[in-house]
Amino acid sequence: MLRLFRYRISWSQLAWFGHRLSGIGVLVYLFMHIVENATLSFGPDVYNTTQTWFHNLPVRLGEIVLMAALVYHSLNGLRVIAMDFWPSTTRWYRPMTYAVIIGTIAAMIPLGLIMITPYAPWNGR
Amino acid sequence: MAIGRKIWPVQGDPLRRNPSRAATPRPSQPGFERWMWYFTRISGLLLVVLAMGHMLIMHVLVQLTGDEINFAFVTSRWGTPFWRIYDLALLVLALVHGVNGARIIIGDYVERGGLRSLLIGLLMALTFVLLLVGIFVIVTFDPNGAPAVGPFS
Repeated sequence: MLRLFRYRISWSQLAWFGHRLSGIGVLVYLFMHIVENATLSFGPDVYNTTQTWFHNLPVRLGEIVLMAALVYHSLNGLRVIAMDFWPSTTRWYRPMTYAVIIGTIAAMIPLGLIMITPYAPWNGR
Repeated sequence: MAIGRKIWPVQGDPLRRNPSRAATPRPSQPGFERWMWYFTRISGLLLVVLAMGHMLIMHVLVQLTGDEINFAFVTSRWGTPFWRIYDLALLVLALVHGVNGARIIIGDYVERGGLRSLLIGLLMALTFVLLLVGIFVIVTFDPNGAPAVGPFS
């Protein structure tokens, strides 16, 4: 159990809410991504110009959030699939929930460091 | 730690029915909803590989190799049929998987009536347009760099 504002909620409920939140986040990104990639049909000049709009720190931070959302949604989705097709694994739902959260953080440390590199102080900027 | 406690199935409010599984139990009646229940899980397994692979290539590997995403980079990838089919599969699976999830979330929060139909109708219309645009862009992309045929040329 953990306290969030005035509510006592379980990690499991947080995992459930996080799955929906990350799913909607990735879907909204996918919508924008399709529109942005449609500039490919206007030729190299239009596409390359549009791409330069995205080469900055705020967009890169957004990409790292997107990566975290996708990693979390993937790991939690595998947990859901395991429990749906092998109901006996529901016995381990709580350790699996912790494993998903720890796994997401563990994966995002190297991935986040690699992705932030062009804008990081150690890269000489 | 209450390992082994029976948590499912639990009756009641659909939002609280199944909090630890981030999902609804398999629909008991055969039909569209059950098909989509299976589709979400099977496409989910495929998307773990497809979407994570896509993100690792476009956002991590590109970074490590010092490459940059521009028209030439897209040309080098979509010059081969493999990556076009990969991206086409990713587009269709991710869009249908995601939009079906959004439809279920709308259904959970907007109980019934005109607003629910309106929101789901708008979602389906947007999805249909974006699916056509996405498929058009991948299929008609010209590696030689000329603008694609059609109204954009």
